[in-house]
Amino acid sequence: MKPTALRRRTTTRTLIAASLAAGLALAAGCSKSEDSGSKSPTASDTADAGQKVATPAGDAKSCTIDQFGGTKLDIKGATIGFSQSEKEANPFRIAETASIKAEAQKRGLKLLTANAQSQFSKQISDVQDLMAKGANLLVIAPLNSDGWGPVFRSAAAKHIPIITIDRKINATACKDYVSFIGSDFISQGKRAADQMITATGGKGEIAILLGAAGNNVTTERTKGFKDEIAAKAPGLKVVFEQTGEFAREKGQSVTEQLIQSKPGITGIYAENDEMGLGAVNALKGAGKKAGAVKIVTVDGTRNAVQGIVDGWISGVVESNPRFGPLAFQTLDDFAKGQKVSQDIVIQDSEYSKDNAKADLGKAF
Amino acid sequence: MPSVLTVSGLTKVFPGARALDGVDFAAESGEVHALIGENGAGKSTLIKVLTGVYRPDEGEVTYRGKPVRFATPLDAQHAGISTIYQEVNLVPLLSVARNLFLGREPRNRLGLIDFRRMHREAEEALRALGVRVDVGRPLRSLGIGAQQMVALARAVSVDARVVIMDEPTSSLEPREVQTLFGVIRMLRGRGIAVIYVSHRLDELYEICDAVTVLRDGKVVHTGRIAGLDRLRLVSLMLGREMSEVRSEGVTKFTGAHGTGDEPVLQATGLTVRHTLHDVSLSIRPGEVVGLGGLLGSGRSETAKAIAGALPPDAGRVVVAGAAVRTGSTPAAIRAGISLLPEDRKAEGIVPGLSVRENIALAALPGLSRFGLVDEKRIDRIVETFMKRLRIKASGPHQKVGELSGGNQQKVLLARWLAMQPKVLLLDEPTRGIDVGAKAEVQSLIDELAEDGLGVLLISSDPEELVEGSDRVVVLKDGAVVAELTGDGVTEGALLRAIASKGGDDD
Amino acid sequence: MTDLALRREPLDRARLLTLLQEYGVYAGVAVLILANIALTPHFLSTENFRTQAVQVAPVLIVALGMALAIGSEGVDLSVGSVMALSTSLVSLYLGYGVWIALIVAVIGGAVIGVANGSLIAFIGVQPIVATLALMVAGRGIALVLLPQLKDIRDPAMASLGSGALFGIPYLVLIAAGLALAVGFTVRRTTFGRQLLAIGDSRPAAQLAGLPVRRVLILVYVVSGVLAAVAGVLASARLQASDPTSLGTLMELSAITAVVVGGTPLSGGRVRIGGTVAGAVLIQLLTATLIKHDLPPSWTQIAQAVVIVLAVYAARERGKR
Repeated sequence: MKPTALRRRTTTRTLIAASLAAGLALAAGCSKSEDSGSKSPTASDTADAGQKVATPAGDAKSCTIDQFGGTKLDIKGATIGFSQSEKEANPFRIAETASIKAEAQKRGLKLLTANAQSQFSKQISDVQDLMAKGANLLVIAPLNSDGWGPVFRSAAAKHIPIITIDRKINATACKDYVSFIGSDFISQGKRAADQMITATGGKGEIAILLGAAGNNVTTERTKGFKDEIAAKAPGLKVVFEQTGEFAREKGQSVTEQLIQSKPGITGIYAENDEMGLGAVNALKGAGKKAGAVKIVTVDGTRNAVQGIVDGWISGVVESNPRFGPLAFQTLDDFAKGQKVSQDIVIQDSEYSKDNAKADLGKAF
Repeated sequence: MPSVLTVSGLTKVFPGARALDGVDFAAESGEVHALIGENGAGKSTLIKVLTGVYRPDEGEVTYRGKPVRFATPLDAQHAGISTIYQEVNLVPLLSVARNLFLGREPRNRLGLIDFRRMHREAEEALRALGVRVDVGRPLRSLGIGAQQMVALARAVSVDARVVIMDEPTSSLEPREVQTLFGVIRMLRGRGIAVIYVSHRLDELYEICDAVTVLRDGKVVHTGRIAGLDRLRLVSLMLGREMSEVRSEGVTKFTGAHGTGDEPVLQATGLTVRHTLHDVSLSIRPGEVVGLGGLLGSGRSETAKAIAGALPPDAGRVVVAGAAVRTGSTPAAIRAGISLLPEDRKAEGIVPGLSVRENIALAALPGLSRFGLVDEKRIDRIVETFMKRLRIKASGPHQKVGELSGGNQQKVLLARWLAMQPKVLLLDEPTRGIDVGAKAEVQSLIDELAEDGLGVLLISSDPEELVEGSDRVVVLKDGAVVAELTGDGVTEGALLRAIASKGGDDD
Repeated sequence: MTDLALRREPLDRARLLTLLQEYGVYAGVAVLILANIALTPHFLSTENFRTQAVQVAPVLIVALGMALAIGSEGVDLSVGSVMALSTSLVSLYLGYGVWIALIVAVIGGAVIGVANGSLIAFIGVQPIVATLALMVAGRGIALVLLPQLKDIRDPAMASLGSGALFGIPYLVLIAAGLALAVGFTVRRTTFGRQLLAIGDSRPAAQLAGLPVRRVLILVYVVSGVLAAVAGVLASARLQASDPTSLGTLMELSAITAVVVGGTPLSGGRVRIGGTVAGAVLIQLLTATLIKHDLPPSWTQIAQAVVIVLAVYAARERGKR
């Protein structure tokens, strides 16, 4: 080849190699983050704060292993596969995975885990993999509600029971899968409204920081909140609804605009903790005092509960991520041949200034 | 023989140019007809009219005895006029067979492509041309020559009556050229009319039966090629009838310059695949060396190779005794080589920037301190050169894109003179500029040589070349075929050199 | 140059388009301010202007680098990911103090810039493809370094995010300073001139012996560094490092600001004043719609309309 072309390529390689090396040095090098007060949740922290069933088993449709078409087995000695949908990059997913792992450890079960990194096709192959590796029972946190046909077919062939957590799959319970365990987002919205009514005394103008558009969590948390306000506190008016896309930065920017144009706002309902914390930032930046604007949020992360302790947030409705104990109990009962409910709605707790300090350790 | 395709009185006008001016032309069945002419002669326009890309403003196209007017290239193709362009315009990722039958695939009863039949027929079609390839392979895995054969096979298999080939040999190896000629002869034998566009004289004499020469949109000659004197053919193309050659020209050149002894530029053995073969030339200070040859003979490529814009596969460039790294424009410029490219608009001026910025462009690092531009020095230099070269603009801040061609050329000259170069390579410095500006540029070239610069002058105009140069190096098919010196620098000698036969193709 | 062009043209459609492209963005900003003064309660207050200025600062800083990339007939899609990388690095290195963290973040941005520039200048990858690759890779690296949002409690960072000098927030001062610096670079330095020539006609610049590769790499390094600075400032404002969402869609906001500001996508020209006005225009547009509690989708539609207008003006003018 031409010498110039060769030289060019060598230079390029050197440059790229240097860039990569520098990048790696930055990544793996001598980083030192600041000492922040918050510790990441550990398994032992979360283990005791498991879930409770909101609807008693039995009154809804139920499922047994005979109906499902399998054979009883002892969960001890069984292998359990867990497929997580998203990267553990937010407190909810971190706590969810940690809770599953902790419960498996507590019960002394063999657990296989996989993470789909927000790619649905990866989740499908993850689950196939788990089955191939010998999982007899599956717990799935689905990324999508649809598209699970192939998984159900191979699971049915092997009579592997599936429990889905936190998001429902559009399929037939007790046939394609056994049960769904999750929160009632409408009820979360209602309870947030109750907190808002208490905090504001049922009078004034309130703003809603909506979650990401086109997301069922957003629509249900909004519907529950508005319905409850309309029913119980006609004195409260929703005067502002803008999306904060579940992100702190967006929540902060939108709230900054809000308090400029509507300085008399009474309360802000943030559909997740992050946006609520962004709203707190905005209020602090505008020189408001803690508690001047009532903030109610949903999720129950430690930062938000700390916000109650500090006086900036009035109430937090929990969306409980600790599916471990309930999921394994359900699997255990089912495998033994007992009746389990097809739809298990779990009870989310909530935090207000009465219990925030005491229950801070329970927050994830 | 009946004419299968004739045109008469064809005229096509573009804004500012009469591309075709009353052209008559006839292609006959079973005949290979050469269509030749220099840049801007109207060959491409004629082909585009024949194939339905352009509509003529005046005149008539008659095909198989009936007047026709093709609306699109596809119409022309369906009617039986196929064109094979320089660059093969097929789909490189599809298989050979798919390419052959693109748009007219054989279907089975279900309306699906009948691959077995398609492959069989593709193989037959190619075998008929003497080509044996696996028709299931993607087209791009074939060599350029074989790809061209596929294009040809496609053209022939659509039942073509006329096949137009636009410089089909420009990127072929000599062996592939012979295969192509075999196919062309076969087409001729089948009674197909072939219109063959090329600049390679040897090829024309080898394969063509008739020739039509275009110049400035007009037909200047048409007839059998056998018996046509090569020299006459070249004179026709370049527009210099032998009788017309005058001893005293109308150019602004003054003639010989005093020249130094030691060459300021020495290029030896420049070789670029398919383009240049062992080209050597030298220029002494104060000397204007002309570089002659037909279009496609490698003139511009020689200049670009010297200026570092075209990396040569082999060869050396030495300026004032020091070797210059080839393939690097900045290195060539540092050594004192400056190139005014042929395509002034695309490669020369920066149209959106002002006259001032264009003049200062190359010299910018020298006109800066710590990366900051020294505006005052630039103003001084720009003023000097605008005055010296008589650049006509509304001011130094006018965009260069808005200037006339002649003034754009002067801006480029100013850009290079600001670098105080040792060698100026001028590629068609007066093309496309009006008569007055042309004279100005020509006398500027003289002045610069007198100031001691070495100048390489490339021109398609034999008169300009002969009168402007002290010495002329003549290229043909990428190789030096003659060097005219002293009294030998005449238009007659130039044309004879260009027309000379043979040449050792590798 | 502009005055000259205007003087020679008759008052017709072409001239209107020229005016729209050259001054439309300033007129747009003026109209929005006047409309808001008339229609939006509490608009005319120092606090409000401060809010808008602080919110626009990171976008503007990113847009400055984008203007250079677009001026070189390229584009830098990786800016949002560079912000994410920068916020991760800040969090990881804050233990050494704000300055070290800032320097590390800036180096991170420069490294991404070198990678972008090398792909474009040496390998000849289209800018849109090269920077798309680093857009994907950049956020990936950011999330590997810091998988989730992390609070920043450093008081120096807090004051960087919310502090002010003579009543002008640091963020705004820094953005203004950078705008002046980039404007000066474009007008007065060799690099700026060469960048414009390369953007206008790369073959001509190459034949004129310009250091095309070096300039292109530098363009993307500058863009990366500016995006990294924007990432640090955004983290300071947020009091948190959030690589999951910081800088998402930032590339679109920045391109919008640049294009609306009258910098042609075809390269060869960079308008820094216009870019500042373009960023402010988009910010005011968003703020207006939020303040009047109009559906969020309207903001996107309104932005789209502004972009179409800007591109239309540039295109029609280019056709002449």
